[in-house]
Amino acid sequence: MKQEEEADSHIFNMAASISGLLKPWTPRVLLVRWSRYNPYYLEPEVRKEAYSRPESELSAEEKEERELKKLRPIKAATNSTTSSLFNDPVLSKFINMMMKHGEKTLAREIMMQTLENIKRKQVEKYHKATDGQKEGIECNPYVVFHQALENCKPVVALASIQKGGKYYQVPIPVTGNRQRFLAMKWMITECRENKHRRTHMYEKLSQELLAAFANEGNVIRKKHELHKMAEANRAYAHYRWW
Amino acid sequence: MSLHRLAFRLRPTVTRVRSLHSSGFVQQQEAVAVEPEPESLSVFRTHEKDPACHSDKHVGQFYTLSSAHVRPLFPDSLPWRYQQQMKTFNETCIMVRQPALEVISYLKKADYSQPALRYVFYGLKGTGKTMSLCHTLHFCYTQGWLVLHVPDAHLWVKNCKELLPSSYKSSRFDQPLQATTWLRNFKITNEPFLSKIKLKERYVWTKRESTEAGSSLGELVDQGISRIKSSSDVVGAVMKELRLQSGQPGADFRLAVAVDGVNALWGRSTIKKGDKTAVDPEELTLVYNLRKLMKNDWSGGAVITTLSQTGSLYHPKSAYLPQDLLGERGFDNMDPFIPVSVPNYSEKEFESCYLYYMDRNWLQHPQSRTAEGKKELIFLCNMNPSMFERLCGHL
Repeated sequence: MKQEEEADSHIFNMAASISGLLKPWTPRVLLVRWSRYNPYYLEPEVRKEAYSRPESELSAEEKEERELKKLRPIKAATNSTTSSLFNDPVLSKFINMMMKHGEKTLAREIMMQTLENIKRKQVEKYHKATDGQKEGIECNPYVVFHQALENCKPVVALASIQKGGKYYQVPIPVTGNRQRFLAMKWMITECRENKHRRTHMYEKLSQELLAAFANEGNVIRKKHELHKMAEANRAYAHYRWW
Repeated sequence: MSLHRLAFRLRPTVTRVRSLHSSGFVQQQEAVAVEPEPESLSVFRTHEKDPACHSDKHVGQFYTLSSAHVRPLFPDSLPWRYQQQMKTFNETCIMVRQPALEVISYLKKADYSQPALRYVFYGLKGTGKTMSLCHTLHFCYTQGWLVLHVPDAHLWVKNCKELLPSSYKSSRFDQPLQATTWLRNFKITNEPFLSKIKLKERYVWTKRESTEAGSSLGELVDQGISRIKSSSDVVGAVMKELRLQSGQPGADFRLAVAVDGVNALWGRSTIKKGDKTAVDPEELTLVYNLRKLMKNDWSGGAVITTLSQTGSLYHPKSAYLPQDLLGERGFDNMDPFIPVSVPNYSEKEFESCYLYYMDRNWLQHPQSRTAEGKKELIFLCNMNPSMFERLCGHL
């Protein structure tokens, strides 16, 4: 959504800053999928706790926000947003990236099987371990998943910058979104390509995630190689102008 | 026996002391609203390993099966997800529930000189029919009965890789692979009986091979495992021998016939003959012989079965009642039978299962351990045991 807004023409950029002057409008034909909402529209609030708070608990700004929400139109929530307690935005993003041909159920099923597989392996290890080793074993598949992705995130990446007729590979800092995207992309490509044709995706994914959790495996190696390349090209770092 | 009674008298005093000192347990018990079980340390487990001693006060509690019983009784015949759970938790625990207790109490009181009684577990998908069957089978095994267990009758009427025309009757078909697997499992389960039971008739397999009357059942089973081509006929012979001998005054064993998915025997099959016409289950040797065991013309044992829509062919998902799944022919053949309904979890059983998963470190998501998370789980699975298990799998 944000990137689309940024790619819009400068008119919308101006509109965002002077949204107070804009009147509410709906186009004659409503496109909901891939729709570019007028910045006048507000994000929906999905969490249950936000609505159960009594009047007294709210601060002045929150009261103002509530008043605003009564008057402004709200964007339609996507199909995958839930008010469930088990909702995880990072996990949803990963599932979306794994999805092919719009088959969300299949992608979600694979992800759930992966989590179950990770949990099974860890819980089995836990029950067979001695008391001293038990604390070191992490059984929560969500913690394993998040930590593995954290471990795969690169800190610097290379950008192709033109200077004096030649293109140089310049090391640049990576923003939070780009880091997350790269980590997920590498993980998924690795699990799709480097496996025996008869291994299931969930099996390979769980192996890779557990390896990344322990800072081993092919994805971590790829991240380290990128870091080494960036370190090697340190000399060109001043070519970056932002 | 007297030691057992003494233990009963001593235990209440011990747990009273325990509940005074450990306030955690008291809170747990209050939350569950169940009176403290005098013979267990926790609310959801019981130390009673013998199914014969299970009673109404154990309903909702998990009992552990010893591995010495599990390996011979269930050689690869438990549901796949349960097998994985056994491997992960490093133990085999079954919940004591009302339907299984009912059938066990009937088995205890039945008169075995009368024709065999037929019990049918039925219910919606995933309510625990197969596990109730396994619990009842464990009871029969601990009582020393001969267990004839068909883990899934649906596997005999679909996906057949090898179909041979029968050597005994030209119109029937043999399934050597399924027959040999069944004979191997039968051998593992009933080791002690194989040498004790002697055959009454002579069976001729080929011009040079035959099994004489008076030789042991073990020899017959070995014959079937080694000579794959005649294995289906061996299965038929084993079933015939056991059926003839079980009611006799000289027999010192009781026969428990357990079939999971009994509606497959009277349904349709997806196996095709060479000319692409479908095979009627009656034309399969294995099914034909098993149907004879399902009749109540023999005595000295019981027939415990389960209906199953999950593996069934040409039945809609909504069908779960005996009339719908067995069809006209099946119902007429099985009539009269004792239907036992297997419902979803009650509040107490759900609570017990939830605590068991918590104890085994299976519920890992931090939200699933809160009260709202539990409410959400109840809403999502609607107290259905298999849905709850699948849901907790990834949480």
